[in-house]
Amino acid sequence: MKKVLMGNEAVAYSLFINGVNVATGYPGTPSTEIIETLKSFSDDDFYVEWSVNEKVALEVAAGATLAGARSAVTMKQVGLNVAADPLLSLSVIGTEGGMIVFVADDPGPHSSQTEQDTRNFARFCNLPVLDPSSPKEAFSLVRTAFEISEKYKLPVIFRMTTRVCHSNETLEFEFKREKRRISRFEKKPEWVILPGLSYIKHIELEEKLTKMRSELGRLNIIEGHGEIGIVTSGISYFYVKEAIRGFENLFSILKVTVAHPIDDKTILDFAAGKRMLIFIEELDPVIEEEAKLVLFENGVYVPTYGKRNGYVPFAGELDVDKVKQTIYNVTKKEGLLAQKNFVNAPEIPRRQSQLCAGCPHRSSFLIVKNACRGKDVIYTGDIGCYTLGYAKPISATDTCLCMGASVTMAQGLKLADSRKKVVAFIGDSTFFHSGITGLVNAYYNRHNITVCVLDNLTTGMTGFQPHPGVGQKATGQEGQRVEIAEVVKGIGIKEVLIIDPYEDFNLCVQKVKEFIERDGLSVIIFRRKCTNLECYNSYYRINEKCINCKVCVNTTGCPAISEDEEQNVFIDKTLCNGCGLCTSFCPKMAIEKVVVNE
Amino acid sequence: MNNILIAGVGGQGNILLSRVICQLYMNRGYSVKTAENIGMSQRGGSVVSFIRVGRELAPIIPNGSCNLLIGLEVYEALRNVSKLNVHSKITLNNRYIKPKDAKIRKEEILEFFKQNFEHIFHFDAYHIAIELGVPKAENIAMLSLICKNSLLPFSKDEILIALGELLPQKVFEINKLLVEKIFEKY
Repeated sequence: MKKVLMGNEAVAYSLFINGVNVATGYPGTPSTEIIETLKSFSDDDFYVEWSVNEKVALEVAAGATLAGARSAVTMKQVGLNVAADPLLSLSVIGTEGGMIVFVADDPGPHSSQTEQDTRNFARFCNLPVLDPSSPKEAFSLVRTAFEISEKYKLPVIFRMTTRVCHSNETLEFEFKREKRRISRFEKKPEWVILPGLSYIKHIELEEKLTKMRSELGRLNIIEGHGEIGIVTSGISYFYVKEAIRGFENLFSILKVTVAHPIDDKTILDFAAGKRMLIFIEELDPVIEEEAKLVLFENGVYVPTYGKRNGYVPFAGELDVDKVKQTIYNVTKKEGLLAQKNFVNAPEIPRRQSQLCAGCPHRSSFLIVKNACRGKDVIYTGDIGCYTLGYAKPISATDTCLCMGASVTMAQGLKLADSRKKVVAFIGDSTFFHSGITGLVNAYYNRHNITVCVLDNLTTGMTGFQPHPGVGQKATGQEGQRVEIAEVVKGIGIKEVLIIDPYEDFNLCVQKVKEFIERDGLSVIIFRRKCTNLECYNSYYRINEKCINCKVCVNTTGCPAISEDEEQNVFIDKTLCNGCGLCTSFCPKMAIEKVVVNE
Repeated sequence: MNNILIAGVGGQGNILLSRVICQLYMNRGYSVKTAENIGMSQRGGSVVSFIRVGRELAPIIPNGSCNLLIGLEVYEALRNVSKLNVHSKITLNNRYIKPKDAKIRKEEILEFFKQNFEHIFHFDAYHIAIELGVPKAENIAMLSLICKNSLLPFSKDEILIALGELLPQKVFEINKLLVEKIFEKY
């Protein structure tokens, strides 16, 4: 089979081929497509799910591995923070069937809160970590990861970065699933983590790492015979190869596939006879630090250049040009630098991401803001499409920290600044992920806040995955639907209001206003399906009554309404989804509906 | 080695176009690597795709190395000029979605391209797609015009085969009509 595959798709194919039995995950860019691809495969000994959050996903996979299944769990780097608790304990307990923890890092970052480096997390957990450079390599390393995991009875961290996850490459492979017999769960005292056991297991873990060092060293790649050594990893390997094109004879490359535990011998062999070492890696100087320790312990001195002495930037992603610049700065080799750029190109302001035309969140935000008019309000936000509620003209997000923090930070803000009204916005998938515990805390401790659940019946930002509130499972099969309002009432919260943000705007504002003026904890659920999943067979247009006051443009910030070349307001019918929110603000009834017959 | 950059804004079908071009090269037996921005940028932000034909390549095109720029939107085409050199071929869709606070006017952008590059091609893929009743297919309209003018080496039949491999049947039929009409008429 020959196919162009994205890194994440390549991993999914390889997992299935290598007989994965249980795969779980929580969506998060750039990791989402692994489960999205796996869900299209089926076999009687294969199961895949979107779990409620990363901690849950990792624990489900951990359970499966204890019974001898090959399991895999996927998440983005910040998801690993959520799953840190079970992962660290699992490094002590160990596994039975092979288990791979896929974590996608996001240098840049393109769509994340942090630029954290999962290789450092692997060091922290004392677990092996593989770092593929391309979809092709990722495909072949999946098998290796299962083998390592099964041999050493430890979960293996499989760390990819955006440019590996989301680059596409031509792959050729046989699409045939390996059939394995799953052993049953065997009762053993070592599955129960207790302090005494942890001490013994810690000793074992260090012994395993020592054995692994030399064995996994074979996965690292050494190329070239030049006396300038470049140590690199992941996608940076290809940046380096391209940067030194034409000058290959001057350089040798060490591509470190296993950043932890690092193989001392590989480092020492590579460093022997080198004039200098240049460390080119994205995010943290993990290999740079590990390698320097190895050199120091063995009394080897080689001049080194990397992040620690300012030759490679800490923040942001690398590319061929940045790598060229670094190598030039170190070696001063003429001819290395790229041809001239068009430095005089005019500057263009960044395009701000915005809520889609017809997004129900826009309406919900504006309803709440209008209901709170005249009050001093703090709006806490959360992670999802609706984080874009911070942008003008909506400006209804004053804080955003991490998944679920809207509900909890609101409580702290209210304690410290009690004269203000505090309103939290949280999405439906995020509510299930980590909003519920915060809401329990608010009820238990009598915090006086309003929580708005923006329920668009999907996980929007990552590409429309289902969640418990939808009831459908990842595979499309029917699951059990969890009704958010029932969860809220189940906690004991009496003040619950469900609103359709597409209903009459002023009526919604009135309802919300009455509701939030009451004292105590209250929850409003704004429920309307994501505009990308719904077609209303209509759009709006501006008629001759328009006085060009631009209230519609300046109030909604809807991408479908803008000004044409003559600065007249117009609605782009290819973008307009027919929600009609703009009509609520027009003083002249100059926006009219056009029904499309199909 | 061939380096193609597609610049546009979210919703213009940038990523699908990248997949189609990738498939076209693959069908001819070439090794291809592509990279795309996916995530926050999809919500009306800038979207860039890189397509690189050849082996052992990084997925991102280095500065000055792009051979063909497909500008689905002109402001976005301008944003990526650092990837171009004077010999790069530049194709511009007649589509202008001005970023908020952008000071430069469209005439100035066109003048900038004219001053700095040798090969510029203007295609009205946007309006042709609207005229043919499929406004969302401006990406495939652009590809058809580029191939029809021999800026990429693919025939109408090759395009249809690649589309057939990538699109669901119903969407394919709509696009097929568009491609055929463009090769016939425009």
